[in-house]
Parts: sequence; C-alpha cells; structure tokens
Amino acid sequence: MAGNFWQSSHHQQWLLDKQDLIRERQHDLSVLTEEEYQKIFIFFSSMIQMIGEQLKLRQQVVATATVYFKRFYARNSLKCIDPLLLAPTTVFLASKVEEFGVISNSRLISTMGNVIKNKFSYAYSQEFPYRTNHILECEFYLLEHLDCCLIVYQPYRPLLTLIQDVGPDDQLLMLAWRIINDSLRTDVCLLYPPYQIAIGCLQIACVILQKDLKSWFAELNADMEKIQEIARYIINLYELWKKYDEKNEMPAILAKMPKPKAAPQR
Amino acid sequence: MQKYEKLEKIGEGTYGTVFKAKNRETHEIVALKRVRLDDDDEGVPSSALREICLLKELKHKNIVRLYDVLHSDKKLTLVFEHCDQDLKKYFDSLNGEIDLDVVKSFLYQLLRGLAFCHSRNVLHRDLKPQNLLINKNGELKLADFGLARAFGIPVKCYSAEVVTLWYRPPDVLFGAKLYTTSIDMWSAGCIFAELANAGRPLFPGSDVDDQLKRIFKMLGTPTEETWPDLTTLPDYKPFPQYHPTQGLAQLSEEREVLLSHMFYNPNNKNIFNGVTSHRVCVCTFIYKKKNKRYLSKALLNTRSQDARIDFLLTINVC
Repeated sequence: MAGNFWQSSHHQQWLLDKQDLIRERQHDLSVLTEEEYQKIFIFFSSMIQMIGEQLKLRQQVVATATVYFKRFYARNSLKCIDPLLLAPTTVFLASKVEEFGVISNSRLISTMGNVIKNKFSYAYSQEFPYRTNHILECEFYLLEHLDCCLIVYQPYRPLLTLIQDVGPDDQLLMLAWRIINDSLRTDVCLLYPPYQIAIGCLQIACVILQKDLKSWFAELNADMEKIQEIARYIINLYELWKKYDEKNEMPAILAKMPKPKAAPQR
Repeated sequence: MQKYEKLEKIGEGTYGTVFKAKNRETHEIVALKRVRLDDDDEGVPSSALREICLLKELKHKNIVRLYDVLHSDKKLTLVFEHCDQDLKKYFDSLNGEIDLDVVKSFLYQLLRGLAFCHSRNVLHRDLKPQNLLINKNGELKLADFGLARAFGIPVKCYSAEVVTLWYRPPDVLFGAKLYTTSIDMWSAGCIFAELANAGRPLFPGSDVDDQLKRIFKMLGTPTEETWPDLTTLPDYKPFPQYHPTQGLAQLSEEREVLLSHMFYNPNNKNIFNGVTSHRVCVCTFIYKKKNKRYLSKALLNTRSQDARIDFLLTINVC
C-alpha cells in the first residue's frame, strides 16, 4: 500500500530465500511429506478465502491475510499455533490494517462456525473450538512474529498497470487476476516481489488464452528466469490440484499434522 | 519489559499513556507508549496498528523512530526514540520571539519529514505543535501517526473527522472526504505562521463555524469563482463576504505574518503560486519584522523529497 516497494519492509525483510524456507520447515517436514505440507497450506488458504467471502471482504484483505499466514509459518512450525486459530486471526488483523474496519469477534467466530460446518465439515467434525480471548492473544503473537511488518504489497496493482500497457483486455485481466488469487496457495508471495508475480501470472493467462505477447514480454526488461520460476510454482499447483482428492485425503493429513500441546480451553 | 526502567509519565497519547524510560543495558533514554486494550472486541486498536505499520516503513531523521514493539500479559508497548519536548511545550517555555534561524530550521525539518511521508504515500492527517517533537540538538521529528494512513490509487473516502480544529483546512471543515497531501500542507502552513509569530496560533477557532470565519476574515471568503465546486461540499454553508485585506490583522506588535497564499482549492493548479503539479506545494508568507517586510516561500516537492525554503526576500521597508 504505502509508497515505495524497494524501501519497504516487504522488500527488505520479507523476501525470503528458498534455502531458508527449507531449513525453517525441517521440523514439519520430518513429520509430513512436502506434498502434504503444501496441501495443508492450500487447505487453509481456501479457508481464509472462504472467511473473506462470507464477510464480504475485498480481495486485497484476503490476500494480505494469506500472506500473514504464510509468513508466520515460514518462521514457525505448524505446532506453534493451530492453523485453525491463526487463519481467522490473520483475517481479523488484515482487515484493520487494510482499513476495512474492525470485524467484531462474535461475527468472526460465528462466521468460522458456518464456514467449517458448510464448507469444511469433511475435515472438522466438531464445531469451531476457539473464542474471543484466543483470537486476541493469537493476534499478539502474530504481530510479534511478523516483526510488525504489516504493509504487504500485492501483485494486483502491478497487474493493472501491465494490462493497461498491453491494451485493454477484460478477459485477460480477469484470468490473470484469478491466477494471482491461486498463486497465494504457493510460496511465490514469500519468494518474489509482487511485480514479478504479476508478470508470471499474466504470462500463464496468455498461454491459456493463446494470446501471443512474446515480443511485449521481451521488452519488459524483467528477469525472465525468475518469471519462469514463478510460473513453474503455479503450474505445479494446477497439476497437483488435478490429481488431488482433497475431501478424502485432508482428514488424514490434518490428523498427522504437528499440533500444539495444550488443547484450547473453553 | 524488564529491559526498561520507567522514569516518569510524559503524557497521554491518542490511545495510551507515554512514559520516559531507560534501557537498563545501554542506558539509552526511550519513550514507552503503553497501548490500552480497553475495547475487548477490537484487539490491538486500529490507531496503534496504523502507527506501528506506517512507522515500520518510514525511517527518516525527521520522523520519530519506532525501535520496538513489546508484548507482555495482554499489554502492548511501543518503544520510541525519546525527544525532550514537543513544539507546544517549546512555545510555552519561550519568552518573546523565536529566533529567525530557528523558525527556518524547524519549518525546513517539518517540510522535509512531510515530504518523506508524502513520497511514501502516507498522509499524517494530524499535524499540530503537540505532535512535533524536538530534541536537544534542535532536531524536529514528526510523531503520533495514530491518525495517519496510507493513501493510494484509487482515492478512497476518508473520514472528515481528522486534524485538530485549528490546523484543519477549509475543505475538510466543509466536510470534504476526498483529500490528499493538501491536508498536511495546510496544517504545515498554520504551524509556520505560529512559529513565526512566537507560538501564537494563527486560527484558534472555538468550533467549526468560528474556525472558518477566522480563516475567511484573514484570507477572504472564497467564492465559486476562486474555488470551483465550493458549494457542492457536503457541509457547505455561506459565510459573509470578507475581503482578504480586511483580515490583515496585526498579529503581534513586532511581527506580522500574512499568509498570502494559503490556498483554498486543493485541486487548482494556480493557487500554489504558479507552481504546478499536485506533488509540489508552496506556501508564501509575508513576514514583517521591525518595520521590514519579508517574503518567504516554503516549497515542498514530494516527488524529489525535497523541501526548500526561500526565506527573507525583503520586499519593502515600511
């Protein structure tokens, strides 16, 4: 949001190295396979998206919440905080930071109840176990572990600029926009600056729509190797999705997931 | 929290109490802002979050530094660099006039800090002497970003309830909800006048009506001609036609400050004394001291993060 990306905390503190990610995940990956780990993040990204839709939040808020979620676990094991608690907390915090206003806790908790019951009952047979005090405490931990870096740059605005340059094309814009939404289910937001992610998503959209913009891309003066890496992450996600039966597999993965020791107290 | 030893209470901020404290290891003096979490539903207050996330992005010598955020048993404490006083207290401690070099230095630093904020797309929205901190080296720093917010494209609707009355621009007083960097520039202009006039506020209005009347008496009542679309502002109401000359009040016996170009229409290009581009703002002041009149110009270019003051062009001797 604010100002200059290059001098931002996003650029200076939160573009991580792939090796760092692997190292930080070591503990979780001793319990889960890499694919299972990824599926957990796909699952909770969808949950954040669903909370956002229920609360009628702007996509910007949803995207920021998802990035907070991913940043937290980029530095912490899944057993530090139950992702089922962290997911609504990221939405709660992101809504305030993005000036969308305060979501009342009772509304957030009842929304969580509905989302679990209507959309994720295949994974959770019980109702949402957390209360206001859990969310408020979790917000503190989240703030601390994000090192108070709350302003997140998203690929949506760079995408609009790119599309303007290509020439107005609503179909292309909408598709690339949706690919950016999907990219939140991968690690790209932790690894690459948003303008590169925008270019990567636009490139995939061009391939799908069979729109030839090769010379236009060549003139962008962007690091095409990085763009290809981004595209690879997203294409891998689509390939995983194709062969993946989420409803059947998720309960077992969640059961296997490292968990905090103490169960929440009512 | 063991890291800091509390020394004394300094004041009450927008959302909590401020203490002076000492770092037990480094002996550095800091200011601790304790955030009240009284609303059980809101969690960390939005104003504190704004301050945290914006100051995290704004590192500049004319902007107060946020060193750390501590959290301990349901309390949140922000650790800031400590400054000895604010501009309001500085005014109060003065006997008589402020040295011209000091006026110049403070204004320059204020504009430079502001240019930095604006270049990072952040509006402060609550500039006033109480929010400008001064340390013993004469450095001035913008503080209290609790009302500040990031602005971007597309322009959103902002709350009209911002900026302490005396430093509030007329468009906001008339209920304008879309505003830009001009809101801070108006406040900076008012502070400039106050600096140049030994700490006497320029427009100390008692309510919105009185505030507008004071502004119009000095600068003339705007019309549709001088300010297109004036009457379409949400809370617009007509005021008597004052003429600018009528309001050239003697502000102090020694010095007279006139704000000849505290512009009305934030979108009009000509008002900034001929300097165009909405990212460049100019305040022009006529400044009278000991029977001499000076023209002073303060220029803020948020694109190059440049602030320049052309001060003391003598225009005539009365």
